[in-house]
Amino acid sequence: MSLYEIRDLAVDIAGNRLVDKVSLAVDAGQCTAIIGASGSGKSLTCLTPFGLTPGVASGLIRLDGIDLASADVGQLSDARRKLAGFVFQQPLTALTPHLTVGAQLQEATMQAGSARPTRAELVRQLERVGLSRPDERLDQFPHRLSGGERQRVMIAAAIAHGPRLLIADEPTSALDASLRAEIMTLLDQLRAEQGLAMLLVSHDLASVEGHADQLVVMDKGRVVESGPAADIIANPAEEYTRRLIAATPRLDEPAPELSQPGDILLGTRDVAVEFQRPGWRRGRISAVVDASITVRQGESLALVGGSGSGKSTLGRAIAGIGPVTQGKILWQASALPQRRNRTLEMRRSIQPVFQDPVASLDPQWTVIDIVTEPLRNLRPDLDRAECNDSARQALSDVDLPEEFLTRMPASLSGGQAQRVAIARAMIASPQLLVLDEATSALDPLVGAEILALLARLQRENGLSLLFITHDIAAARRLCHRIAVMDDGCIVETGDIQAVIDHPRHPATQRLVAAS
Amino acid sequence: MFGLITRRLLTAIPTLLVIILASFFLMRLAPGGPFDGERPLDPATQAALQQAYGLDRPLWDQAWLYVSRLVQGDFGPSLVYRDFTVSELIAQGLPISLMLGGLAIVMALAIGVTAGLFAAVRAGKAADKVIMMLATVATALPTFVTGPALALLFGLWLGLLPVSGTGDGVAWLIMPVVALALPVSGAIAKLTRAGLASVLKQDHIRTARARGLSETKILFKHGLRPALVPVASYLGPAAAGLLTGAVVVETVFGLPGLGRYFVQGALNRDYPLVLGVVTLYAALIILFNLFADLIYGWLDPRMREG
Repeated sequence: MSLYEIRDLAVDIAGNRLVDKVSLAVDAGQCTAIIGASGSGKSLTCLTPFGLTPGVASGLIRLDGIDLASADVGQLSDARRKLAGFVFQQPLTALTPHLTVGAQLQEATMQAGSARPTRAELVRQLERVGLSRPDERLDQFPHRLSGGERQRVMIAAAIAHGPRLLIADEPTSALDASLRAEIMTLLDQLRAEQGLAMLLVSHDLASVEGHADQLVVMDKGRVVESGPAADIIANPAEEYTRRLIAATPRLDEPAPELSQPGDILLGTRDVAVEFQRPGWRRGRISAVVDASITVRQGESLALVGGSGSGKSTLGRAIAGIGPVTQGKILWQASALPQRRNRTLEMRRSIQPVFQDPVASLDPQWTVIDIVTEPLRNLRPDLDRAECNDSARQALSDVDLPEEFLTRMPASLSGGQAQRVAIARAMIASPQLLVLDEATSALDPLVGAEILALLARLQRENGLSLLFITHDIAAARRLCHRIAVMDDGCIVETGDIQAVIDHPRHPATQRLVAAS
Repeated sequence: MFGLITRRLLTAIPTLLVIILASFFLMRLAPGGPFDGERPLDPATQAALQQAYGLDRPLWDQAWLYVSRLVQGDFGPSLVYRDFTVSELIAQGLPISLMLGGLAIVMALAIGVTAGLFAAVRAGKAADKVIMMLATVATALPTFVTGPALALLFGLWLGLLPVSGTGDGVAWLIMPVVALALPVSGAIAKLTRAGLASVLKQDHIRTARARGLSETKILFKHGLRPALVPVASYLGPAAAGLLTGAVVVETVFGLPGLGRYFVQGALNRDYPLVLGVVTLYAALIILFNLFADLIYGWLDPRMREG
């Protein structure tokens, strides 16, 4: 008998059945992964049986011989306290901001009734999850830690009380590629050491490959396919699973056909960006140090680095939406001034697309207002009708039907919203798009569609792309060359395939190994 | 943290200076003067008085003289209460005002936070709606309505509490403090409820719930502190307002607080008295806003980073 077993689980919220007929099992020391796009019901499936969503679960749910389906609120709370540990997606927000790491870890250790742990015990717990300088961390507040460090604290707290089952809801989705691999390795190691059963939720097949024993593929609240992970990945029986596997960029897939680049369009010469240290402390932080890159006409340059490497700051400086402390930005060999001194023509030539598609669209505006806004500002020579015609054309260029013009952002899916954002960027006929993690917040299926769309737009319009990402495999689908950033510096540049085959700098090696 | 305190105290100096100079000149723009009584004084006496208090000198000279004396802690003489200096008048009125305001803050916080908590826990239920309605009413009612109404009910009809003046014990304090605290407690209740409602939706509350903690512990240990951030930002100006803005309540209940001197001083064109009280009020407001910022840092350590 499995440690944790679900049979014919259904989840209802306000009378809507969002999950139906889901069955899965996890054995001690094993990992079962649920894979699916957002809205597939995977998080509801793993959290609702423990009373952590507004949903109501029915079916057979058994953890360590206890029937959770018929448990009342107190019994569910007991099960959470004693038998289960939870790791959530957002390490930024999942820890209580006003309690120190030590206080939260102590609370977690005592949740199943253990005695108050000594400081040495708390230090050992942080050591176990591979956190450096553990003694110092105990007195720090969560916001002083990086995303990866916070997720380690989260994991330490999730296993501090000695649970039998660890539920990890997208534990690595908010982290960059090299941290993803580190956190997954840590979870594997803890699972083996403690004989934990692990239920892992992810939208990303690549991140669970090699870690999960069993796989459950979900779509629209139902199980598409389930079985041993290796078998499903090698021989997917269902069309949906095949699409999911094909959507995830891999370094060993065939190289894409890319167009031939032309003359140099944009160059930066020793660009540096510094910020005032925030808050009550003095001093300045260097976010970008002497960065020099070039982008040719019709070329895609991948600007790749981990979180905090300065890649977005450099991208914002180039697009003119962020500060430049020193250095020059050259546009077709003449210096590009700071934003407010740029002519309409210069502004039109460089357009940004951001990571979070929904947050980057004004929720009060209709799609037509959003898409035509650049024209209203940058092309005062066009009248209303001409703007609207261009908007129709822009939407059709990103494969959205004309009806979308009157929609509001709240009614768009993530992929549709990102298409609208790309249409907005493309409507003024730019020569360079600055794409800041434009596919990172999307599901693999949707992300792959957006990558294909960008590749087509580039091919058809001779567009140049600055593709800022932490995902080197995604960059390879689109880009000619790569510039790797680490700690504010460009540490390696070159042809993307050559760099992937022979990475020289340790930061590049980490990124390649993590893909 | 000490950096913040030093910086704020240093920026307080030019702020205060601007306020003092602005009030000084604005007051002089107002028609009339301190020695205009029912019966006009004869020109010779008028001139002698003007000269004695230095009012005949150029305005800038007077302003400079005032500020340089202020730096030495001298608020100058009162022009109307001839036997007193402004410092003496403030020393008489300030303790009563501080006591009224301080007690009102404590009471408003106790009532407001408790009511807000209660409403947030029962969000959407009848108790929540009743509390929020009462809070709206409390916030909307001005003290010049609640003050006399309280005095009428508890003082005249029921005869439980004294309606005017100070006395022995604490009975005389109750009605003025309640009148002062009511609108503030309504606002705090609304802010607490709104703050908690948004905090209770956050991820870290789900983490706490995943630990199987009791709802009480989730609420008090993980939810309440960040929820009070809006309360703290309201409390800075509100506290300054309570300590200083008790003018109406002091008048209604006939209490010899600072507010009374302020109003009388303004009506009498008692320039040094008004300036003294304004300076004190401004300093208190700056101080309370600094306290509010320090409280933010405690409520949510992320604020310490800016």
